[in-house]
Amino acid sequence: MWRYILKRLLLAVPVLFGVSVVVFVAIRRIPGDPAQIMAGQAATQEVVEEIRRSLGLDQPLPVQYLYFLRNLLRGDLGRSLFNGAPVVEELAQRFPRTVRLAFASLLVATFIGVPAGIAAATHRLSWVDTLVMVLALAGVSVPVFWLGLNLILVFSVRLGWLPAFGYETGRHLILPSVTLGVASAAVIARMTRSSMLEVLGQDYVRTARAKGLPERSVVYRHALRNALIPVVTILGLQLGTLLSGAVLTETVFAWPGIGRLLVEAVLARDYPVVQGTILLIATTFVVLNVAVDILYAFLDPRIRYT
Amino acid sequence: MNRILLGLGVLGLVVALGLPGQSAPTGPQPGGTLIIGRGVDSVTLSPYATAAPDAEVIAHIVETLYELTPDGRIVPKLAESMPRVSADGRTMTIRLRRGIRFHDGTPFDAYAVKWNFDFILNPENRVPFRTILLGEVTGVEVVDRYTVRLALRRPFVPLLAHLTHDFLAIHSPAAVERAGGMRPPNGEPYGRQPVGTGPFRFREWIRGDRIVLERNSDYWGPRKPLLDQIVWRSIPDDGARVLALEGGQVHVAVRVPPRETTRLALNRALRIDRTNSVRTIFIAFNNQRFSDVRVRQAFNYAVNKRAIVQTVLGGAARVSDAPISPGIVGYAPVQPGGWPYDVPRAKQLLAEAGHGGGLTVTLLHPTGRYVQDAAVAAAVQAQLRAVGINARLQTMEWAAYLAYTNQPVDRTPVEMFMLGWGTVTGDADYGLYSLFHSSQWAPAGFNRAFYRNPQVDQLLDQARSETNPARRADLYKQAMTLIWRDAPWIFLHSESQTTGVRREVQDLVVHPTERILAHTAWLRR
Repeated sequence: MWRYILKRLLLAVPVLFGVSVVVFVAIRRIPGDPAQIMAGQAATQEVVEEIRRSLGLDQPLPVQYLYFLRNLLRGDLGRSLFNGAPVVEELAQRFPRTVRLAFASLLVATFIGVPAGIAAATHRLSWVDTLVMVLALAGVSVPVFWLGLNLILVFSVRLGWLPAFGYETGRHLILPSVTLGVASAAVIARMTRSSMLEVLGQDYVRTARAKGLPERSVVYRHALRNALIPVVTILGLQLGTLLSGAVLTETVFAWPGIGRLLVEAVLARDYPVVQGTILLIATTFVVLNVAVDILYAFLDPRIRYT
Repeated sequence: MNRILLGLGVLGLVVALGLPGQSAPTGPQPGGTLIIGRGVDSVTLSPYATAAPDAEVIAHIVETLYELTPDGRIVPKLAESMPRVSADGRTMTIRLRRGIRFHDGTPFDAYAVKWNFDFILNPENRVPFRTILLGEVTGVEVVDRYTVRLALRRPFVPLLAHLTHDFLAIHSPAAVERAGGMRPPNGEPYGRQPVGTGPFRFREWIRGDRIVLERNSDYWGPRKPLLDQIVWRSIPDDGARVLALEGGQVHVAVRVPPRETTRLALNRALRIDRTNSVRTIFIAFNNQRFSDVRVRQAFNYAVNKRAIVQTVLGGAARVSDAPISPGIVGYAPVQPGGWPYDVPRAKQLLAEAGHGGGLTVTLLHPTGRYVQDAAVAAAVQAQLRAVGINARLQTMEWAAYLAYTNQPVDRTPVEMFMLGWGTVTGDADYGLYSLFHSSQWAPAGFNRAFYRNPQVDQLLDQARSETNPARRADLYKQAMTLIWRDAPWIFLHSESQTTGVRREVQDLVVHPTERILAHTAWLRR
C-alpha cells in the first residue's frame, strides 16, 4: 500500500513538470505585455523597456524558465510582477479561504445530493423521482452568477439576514457555499440515484429482502455502502474542481480566494502568480486523486493496490 | 363634521410639532466608518502608482503641494502660496507651509520635498510617471527650510498642474527608510504602508479585499476629518456591488452600470451621483492609412453621438465638443454640441473621396474597459452601415488590446480602434501633447493614431512655455480647432462617473479625475 502511494506521488512529478512547462510557455505566448500594463496606458516605450528589464522579461524564454525552475526547487515561486508580493505568501493567504469555501460547498452538496439521490432511487418513477431529477437538471443548468445574485437579493438586501460579501465569519460562508454547492449537489444526486438503482437490483439485496429485513435496513445498511463507492469518486473530482477556485462565485461574493487571484493574474499577465496558482491547482488534483484511490481500498475490500 | 374638524386639528398639531421621523437637518457629525465598494484593489500606494484606484487612496493619506479643485482651479495645499516662476520660466520657487508633521511625527519641510522629488527624478529608481510629470525638471534645491526651487530644462507651464497629481505627493522620507525603501517596479516594501501628512492615516491592507484608513486627529488643515475610518472593499462584480449598496453593506458603490440607474433612482435610501470625468472616449483612425481627411470627416458625420449617449449610455456621458473634456485647464469647446450628425454630407464626402461604392474597415474595441464600450462600438457599426461603410467589429481582452494597438506605423495592422484617455493632470498639455504631437507616435509615445500636423506641433510646443494663461488658452484653442478639422478620431463622448451613494453620506466629493474623496465626508445618523 505504501509503495503504491509513493509510486503514485512520484508519478506526479513528471505531470507537474509538464504542467509547469505548458503554463510557462502558454502565458508568455498569448499577446499582452505585463510591463506595458504595469507602466500604465500613458507610459513611454522607454519606461516600458526599463520595467521589462527590471522584471527579467528581456531574457530568452529558456533562460527565464531555468531561473523559474531553480527558484521553484528552493520553494520560491517568485514575486507578483504587479504588487511585488511573494507568490508563496499570496497563495498561503488565499488558498485556505478557497479550501474553506470548497469544503463548505462540498458539505452542502453532499447533504443535499446524497439523500435526494437515495430518495429518487427508492421511489423510482414516482413523483419524488421526477422532482429530484428536474431539480438536478435545474441545479446543473442555472448560471452561478445568476443564482448568487438572486440569493444576495433575497437574503441580504430584502431580508437582511446574511452579508452580501466578505469572508470573515461563518455567516459569510453560507450564501457562497450554497451558490457553489448547488451544481455539485445536482451531480451527486444523479450519481447516487443511478448507482443506488444498480445496487438495488443486485442479488444480495434481493437476498436481504428475501430474508425479511425491513426496507430501511436493506437500503441503508446493505445497499448504500456499496452504492456510495462511485459517489466517492465524484466527490473527489468535485472537490478538486471546487478547490481550484470557483472563479464566478468568488467574484460575485468578493471572496478573495485563488480563483479570483488566477483570473486577475491572467488578465494582468502576472506570470509568476499564474504559474504558482496553476501549479498549486495541479498539485491539489494529483493529491486528491491519490487520496480517492486510497479511500476506495477502505470502502471496498475487493480493491487492493499492489 | 366635528370629526373632520378634530381630524384637521390633530393634523395641524402634527405639522406644528414636526412629522415623526423627520428631524431637522443637523451639522456635520464626527465618527463612523465609511465603506466604499469598488471593482478593483489598489496596486501600490507609493509614487510607483499608475492608476486612479491607487491615486484615490493615496489622496487621503499623502498630500500634494497644490490641489486641483473639482471645478478645475489650482490652489495651494502643502505649499503656502502659488509658486513664483522666474522671468525666463526656468525656475519655479515654492514656499511651504510651516508646522506640519507627517503621521510618523517627523517634520514636513523643504528637505522632505527635495527627497521625494530627487527620488522620482533619479532614473535608476524607474518611477513610471517620472517623464510624464517631471520630465522637464532637472533639479531641486532647498533655498531655506520652507522654500524649494525647481530648475527646468526649458519653460514648462504644465508643471504647476502636475504638482497637483497624487503621484507627486510628499511621503515621509523617514517612513520610507524605516519600511526598507521603495524598489521598482511597484515601490515595495514601502508602497504597502504609506505615511504622509493627510487627514487619514494608513492602517491595514488585505490584498484583494480591503484597505483601511483611520482619522488623523492631529490633521493640520482647517477642515478636520470627521470619519473614524474609511474602508475600500474590492467587489469585482458590478451587480454584487450594487446589491451591497442597496443592502447597506457599503455606503458608496463606484461605476454603477447604466442599466441599474433607473431602478436605483427609485430607492429613497440612495442617490445617484453623476460627475463628468476628464476621460474622453474616441475611435482613432490610423491616419497614415486613412490619409484622406474627407473620409475621416465622413465617419464623424455618419455617427450620431447624441443618440449613443442617450440610448446606449443612458445619458451618463457628454458628447465631445473638443478633443479634451471640460474641467481641464486649457479646455474650450471647438464645436458646441459636438460634431453634427449629417448622413447626406457623409455620403457626399465619401463619394468625393472615391468611396461612393462603399468601404469596408475593421473597428477594434475593448470589452468591459469603458462604460458600455462594446455596445457603443455596435451602435457605431450600425450607423456607419447607413452611409455604406461596412465596419467589422473585433474585440480582444485589455492586455492584448494595449499591445496590439501599440505597434509601429510600418507594422501595425490596425485601421480603427476605440480608446479612452483621462487627462488626469488637469492640464490640456497631457491630453493633447501625448495624443496629437508627432513626436509621440506609438510605440514611443501615445499618438497611436499616427496623426501629424506641423502647425499643431508648433502650437502645442509654444503652449508648453507660454506663461500668460490667456495666451496659452488661445494657443490650445487654435490647436484644438486644427485637430478637430483634421478629424484624426471619431470624437465620441466623455464619460460620466456614475456613483451610487447612500443618503446618510454627506460632503463626499466625486472628483472629475476619477477619484472619490472623503476628506471631509461624514455620516448622518
